[in-house]
Amino acid sequence: MSEPPQRPPWARPDQPARPPQGQGGPVPPAPSGPVPPPPPGDGRFPAGASGGATGAGQQMPHWPGQQPPSAPAGGQPLLGDEAMAGAADAARRGFADRIIDTSSGRDDGLNKCPRCGSTDIHYSLTAKALFCGYCRNTWNEENAEQAFGLDSSIAELRGHTMASGTSDVREDLTVVTLKCQGCGAEVVINVEQQTHARCHWCRQTLSINSQIPNGAVPDAVLPFQLTREEAVQRIDAFAGKRKGFAHGRFKREFVPDNVMGVYIPYMVVDGNMHAVLRGTGEVTTRQYTVRVGSGDNARNEPRYDADVYSVQRAFDLLVDDLTVESAARYSAQDNSAATNNILHAVQPYDVENAVAYNSHYLKGFTSERRDLNVRDVDDQVEDKFLAIARAKAGPTVSRYDRGVRWTEEGVAVHGTRWVTVYVPVWLYSYADSASGGGLVHYIAVNARNGNTMGSVPVSHPKIFAVACAAGTVAAAVAAVVGFGWFLMG
Amino acid sequence: MLPLLAELAADPATTMLLADSGDGVIGVTFPFLAGPAVFAAVYGGIYRYYRNTDKRHLFEKETDVAVGNLQQQDRKVGTNNRQRSRSMSGRNDTDHLERVRRISPG
Repeated sequence: MSEPPQRPPWARPDQPARPPQGQGGPVPPAPSGPVPPPPPGDGRFPAGASGGATGAGQQMPHWPGQQPPSAPAGGQPLLGDEAMAGAADAARRGFADRIIDTSSGRDDGLNKCPRCGSTDIHYSLTAKALFCGYCRNTWNEENAEQAFGLDSSIAELRGHTMASGTSDVREDLTVVTLKCQGCGAEVVINVEQQTHARCHWCRQTLSINSQIPNGAVPDAVLPFQLTREEAVQRIDAFAGKRKGFAHGRFKREFVPDNVMGVYIPYMVVDGNMHAVLRGTGEVTTRQYTVRVGSGDNARNEPRYDADVYSVQRAFDLLVDDLTVESAARYSAQDNSAATNNILHAVQPYDVENAVAYNSHYLKGFTSERRDLNVRDVDDQVEDKFLAIARAKAGPTVSRYDRGVRWTEEGVAVHGTRWVTVYVPVWLYSYADSASGGGLVHYIAVNARNGNTMGSVPVSHPKIFAVACAAGTVAAAVAAVVGFGWFLMG
Repeated sequence: MLPLLAELAADPATTMLLADSGDGVIGVTFPFLAGPAVFAAVYGGIYRYYRNTDKRHLFEKETDVAVGNLQQQDRKVGTNNRQRSRSMSGRNDTDHLERVRRISPG
């Protein structure tokens, strides 16, 4: 696990000095030169906002219900060590405004059917619900956003709000002893590997129902929607289109029925921030051709004249449900041991439909334990906020036909909200022993919407042969054309 | 093939031949350019289709984001004339993942 950053650069951003609403005016200094015409509206920025922020007295658009800026003066510490300690302290003192308690309230041990009290419960993919094998009752847990108030306005987020499932992971917690409420027996569970066990005396199912701090229990679960058969079909079709140049050993050993249902832990982050971008843009003012060279080498070449502008954009962003991997093994940042980018590519997940955690959702599937804390991924989240800001600024600089070179960027985060969610993936993995380090190739199916992506090991000699053949044909054709060109020249 | 092209380019005789023979001699280079280019395109295309090493979630476009309170400043600072390229040098407005110098908005 990576060392948590001690002073993340975005942890203590200064709050932007916003001008009073109604007086307009940009955050940057007033322009001293001519202001180019406003960019075409993209539907995102209201017309009243475009190009006009420089003029005094111009109203800037606000979110519905947004209050005049009343952000506290001075920097508000976010996600720094002090803030994290403060949040933990607040949680200890029961301040629910910083830590949201998402625990189920159940004790570890028996997790019973609400109708008959049986513990013979599993998640049924046909019913898309928890299913009691004794009384055939089906039900789902409550939507997590509604149950825990995670759907409150992002614009009102201040400081950082963390669901209780995001607490720091303890690596030393490997074994938990459960007392069976049925017969009194004590059953030991290796919580690094599983969250269920059968009582060896009365055969009841015992589960970890509380949020033990080893990362195995998230705030919410997004249950599987696609059946195993649908996933096998998609994986078979995906690999079937890629058989021609696949490695021979892969073709022999490929068995799509080996697909596994896996819950992968993600951090889901909401953010309320102010972004500022600065750079240089160019607008073409004249396009013409010039005659260069002399004699037989004389030719026309295009030339472009351009006006150069100093460009600055400042705007507020409300980011909803940004997802970040929170298991180092599946981190898209590292593809050296496995093709983790494949897992990244099958997103997005409809995490707004995640339900409150119930250990029975995990039965029959494997689940990866979260091993990254908020402080381990906050740099990555900051980069993603900046990337989103850059993407959203794109339509506002469309008039710069020669492009914009951004040179400075930053976000002042007013508030964030962190929640851990298990998302469902049907995963086929193939360890390519032919490659040096034994790279693991994944073919993954998003078990919510069916997005399928994969990596198939290739036979390099076959590709080389085909590429050589194509190159030779192209060279032969080009030789004929070139000879004709030579004769005419 | 590339070393052969490099040797040919470095040979003074080649330069003289090209200089003396006008546009027609450019046709001689066609097979030496087209062959390697098609080889690289076919190899890279097949490899990418199978391995999908370039695939990722386009979070910056697919994440739900509300934008407001836009403020913009555009100030002319000079001219850049007689440029050969249609695009400005170092443009990065479409490369959202490239990070630049951080500032503290305020």
